[in-house]
Amino acid sequence: MAVVLTLMTIALPWVGALAVWLIGDARSRLQSALAVAFSAAAGLVSLALIPYATGGYEFSVFDAGEAFGRFTFAPDGLGVYLAVIATIIGCLAVVFSLDYMKGEHQLGRYYAFVLFFVGAMAGLVLASNLFLVFLFWEITALCSYALISFHNDDPKAVAGGIKALIITGLGGIGLLVGALLAYSYLGTFNISLFLQNAGQMPAGALATVAFGFLAAAAAKSAQFPFQTWLPDAMEAPTPVSALIHAATMVNAGVYLLARFYPAFAAVPAWRITVISIGVITALMAASMAVVSNDLKRVLAYSTVSQLGYMVYAIGAGGIFASQFHLLNHSAFKALLFLGAGAVIHATGTRDLRLMGGLGRAMPVTRAVFIIGSLALVGIPVLNGFWSKELVLEAGFLGGPLWAYLLAILTAGLTALYTYRCLYLVFYGPSHGKIPPHDAGYAMRAALYPLAIAALVTWLLAGPFSRMLAASLPFHEVDLLPTWEMAVEVLSAPQTFLALAVIALGLAAWRWRERLSPVANAFHGLAQAASNSYGFEWLNRQVVTLTQEAGEALRSTQTGQLNWNVVAIAGALVLVLAIVILGSVL
Amino acid sequence: MVYALIVLGMLACALLAVHARRLMVSALWLAGASALASLLIYLLGAPEVAVIELSVGAGLVTVLFVFAINIAGEESAAVRPLVHRPLAWGLVALALLLLGWLTWPRVLISPAPQTASFVQTFWRDRFLDVLLQIALIFSGVLGILGLLTDGEHKGAA
Amino acid sequence: MSWNIGVIVLAGILGLLGVGLYGLLVLRNLIKVVIAMQILVKGAILALVAAGAAQDQISLGQSLALTVIVADTIVSVVGLALAVQVRSHCGTLDVRALSRLKK
Repeated sequence: MAVVLTLMTIALPWVGALAVWLIGDARSRLQSALAVAFSAAAGLVSLALIPYATGGYEFSVFDAGEAFGRFTFAPDGLGVYLAVIATIIGCLAVVFSLDYMKGEHQLGRYYAFVLFFVGAMAGLVLASNLFLVFLFWEITALCSYALISFHNDDPKAVAGGIKALIITGLGGIGLLVGALLAYSYLGTFNISLFLQNAGQMPAGALATVAFGFLAAAAAKSAQFPFQTWLPDAMEAPTPVSALIHAATMVNAGVYLLARFYPAFAAVPAWRITVISIGVITALMAASMAVVSNDLKRVLAYSTVSQLGYMVYAIGAGGIFASQFHLLNHSAFKALLFLGAGAVIHATGTRDLRLMGGLGRAMPVTRAVFIIGSLALVGIPVLNGFWSKELVLEAGFLGGPLWAYLLAILTAGLTALYTYRCLYLVFYGPSHGKIPPHDAGYAMRAALYPLAIAALVTWLLAGPFSRMLAASLPFHEVDLLPTWEMAVEVLSAPQTFLALAVIALGLAAWRWRERLSPVANAFHGLAQAASNSYGFEWLNRQVVTLTQEAGEALRSTQTGQLNWNVVAIAGALVLVLAIVILGSVL
Repeated sequence: MVYALIVLGMLACALLAVHARRLMVSALWLAGASALASLLIYLLGAPEVAVIELSVGAGLVTVLFVFAINIAGEESAAVRPLVHRPLAWGLVALALLLLGWLTWPRVLISPAPQTASFVQTFWRDRFLDVLLQIALIFSGVLGILGLLTDGEHKGAA
Repeated sequence: MSWNIGVIVLAGILGLLGVGLYGLLVLRNLIKVVIAMQILVKGAILALVAAGAAQDQISLGQSLALTVIVADTIVSVVGLALAVQVRSHCGTLDVRALSRLKK
């Protein structure tokens, strides 16, 4: 049964993608109905898979023999919950798109790619063969490119899509190199075997694999130094942003780190690198969110920052804390993105300076946005609070003090930019047009479940930890019933420190008039932040360099058959020489 | 002995096919090389493939070539190759040297003894290959149809 | 005795592969290119059969060789059809002229 459910979780969205594409754009109602139906079915199937996530269960669909090993899938706790997130939020994003994308052209392409992406993400987390993971990794990169550049007549969207593709693709090389190295030393692509025998690899090779995977994960999750693609990817339609950049694809990087943590924890300097990357990203992105004037960019930087928290937790050894934060973050970040989508759809702009006072005209949207913001900031009772405190606690116990202090500072900044964003959109005087009505019915149908989720998913801590502990033999996750977790969080002194800093952050915005001299002192830093600390410039240089290299190499493309065969023959000679050398040495 | 003669003949035909000036002559030398190759294959103990190679390689393909050369017409092609001949010979010699070095230790041929019958191997063990070939033939036919009908409708639309 | 046959057949295979590769490198007429490719593949077919004979698994060698023959025939058929179309559209079969011609 688990076999069927697992395969259906991956196959249903793909069949749906094919169906939506074949139906054609002429029958748009049937098309959207099919899209919703297939994504909902996938969500239900993945939910049905939860009871089977008891661990140790692995099945193979295809035996590629010596070439790629057995294509195995292992529905364990870590994979199933991410598959549930991917499919359920995918379904909600599709429902939201019914209103948001109404009247757009080529919706067949849109829905097909969304469904294709959901299936690929489910496959990525459920696969137990490194080669399969790489395959699905690249498929998600392709789908995210196709969806970011969905409005392919807008040059900014296309540029954003290509940037995302290039950066995540380069990260994928790290994954491929790591997988090939693991295969050459251990003789298998299987993940469980790899986790079991990682210690048998020579230290240098294991370190290469560890840092290769780290690079891939950092690129995919938009961590430092690869963080520039995520804000530019905000050119995608907002439901796509919610799906890909808040709830699923960027989680793939965190998933990779969590899955392989037992194998790499012993590699010298790996954990501290992970911690550093996480904390630096969190702080940097939070500072960039404070000065940004684009609503979706603020949310994008916020995502990067929260992902930094998760990476930080993994580096410090708190696997459960990071995954729990991932679960909660998916809920409230998708909520925030979809709420922002409702605002953008109604006002027609993304600029915060042109909004204001929308709370009166859009009370429902304001309410859900407030819920999402409270969760993001980490106010008690909402899900973000519990997981963020667990992350900070794990960081305090497992990581250096400077990282913990920076993380606390970031929590304060989070409060600051969230309150700023909320205020500029919904409160205060209105600087732009007032929308005539609130979010539509389909939008609300997607927003309400997420708002409820933001309120209650923290209650799942107990069952979630049980599921992870039972099904991940190598990870040493401790059982943590919900009540115990609540007591632990509420009684830890770190919690109160964090809450104090958060209160400071909120107060800083509230009293911004009085604090304006302090703000002016940071003016230089604010300038640097809005220029993304020079990373944009670096990016442009890399792109220009690549294009010039391409132009320079143009002369080798003669277009004449004989010269092409010369290249082929030359390559043949080279390969033969390498093979002979390999057998002689 | 026989093998050496056949191989020499085959190589001679191949070289002449490459060097011939006129396309028709080239195609005929190719037919000769195919025939000798099929004879060699038969002597190695593979009668089925030998027959198929003879009928397809020396028969069908040659007819196709003659057909195509008639339609396309002979062309007095330029003689100077784009890639210098020494460079070409050098690359080829190098590749052959390395390839020979790799395969040298494994030359031991005992022609004729059978293990399983060809029919059983082909239709049962390598069934995936058969499916592949069917798919290939389909795509080939589709390709031909696409190419030829496109030519006929050159004037329209 | 068998060793000698092996060497001779190997020489034949290498010779065919070499002539075919040389043809691909040097020839300029598209149809002759197809001929050279045919020679190359003939060498490959011979290699498969010879390998099967050497390992006492002649049926396996034959099956693989048959697959290659079919594939090669299809390729040559489509290649010739292409050449005919190129000739009628672009008026020439010369590789160099084709790489410059804008249609």
